[in-house]
Amino acid sequence: MKTHFLFPNKFKILGWILFIPSLLTFMLASIFKLDIDKYLNIKVFAIYQESIGQKPGFFEIIEDSFSYELITILIILGGLFICFSKLKNEDEYTSKIRYESLVWATYFNYFLILFFTLFLYGMPFLNVIVYNVYTLLIFFMIRFHYLIYKLNKTSTDDE
Amino acid sequence: MTNNLKVLRAIKNISQEELAKKISVSRQTINAMEKGKYVPSTVLALKLARFFENPVEEIFSLENED
Repeated sequence: MKTHFLFPNKFKILGWILFIPSLLTFMLASIFKLDIDKYLNIKVFAIYQESIGQKPGFFEIIEDSFSYELITILIILGGLFICFSKLKNEDEYTSKIRYESLVWATYFNYFLILFFTLFLYGMPFLNVIVYNVYTLLIFFMIRFHYLIYKLNKTSTDDE
Repeated sequence: MTNNLKVLRAIKNISQEELAKKISVSRQTINAMEKGKYVPSTVLALKLARFFENPVEEIFSLENED
């Protein structure tokens, strides 16, 4: 079947390799409040920067810790590869499940944001916004793979 | 929409797996169609029609709620 916007199946494994270690690092750092933002100091190009102790400015090369940037890039790339690589047996039915899972995950994600907007105030709410960078991908990933798992399981018994 | 894929498949004496291979979908998709959980695309319906040498209307039929 011709599919648009999907990576080849091989990218799925690559996705897991990128995603798992970087997500674990991110979670451990936020649970144990580790300050990983002091490692990996390199020169970066900023379209705009407003770092503490520096004069804000456009199009500058500044020195900054790249650890959170690296983790974000790895989680997002890994997540995209896991979510949007073709399955081994991708066909029109799995495409439908993919679409429905994406709709489900989007609703779920924004429902949570609405919920926390109403009931969380101050710093915890900022955390919600930070986690939200990854949650849509993660909710979709869980929902889609759960449905595919269920599909494979229910239809093994009858012939 | 209902279909009589299961009957046609029994007549041809072919398993879900074999049918799936012939029309290049997964076995789960055949299973879901037979159970009425999935309505196939026109392309897939026509492929099934060609395989079973039956017009599409003989395989699939509309129900009241469609």
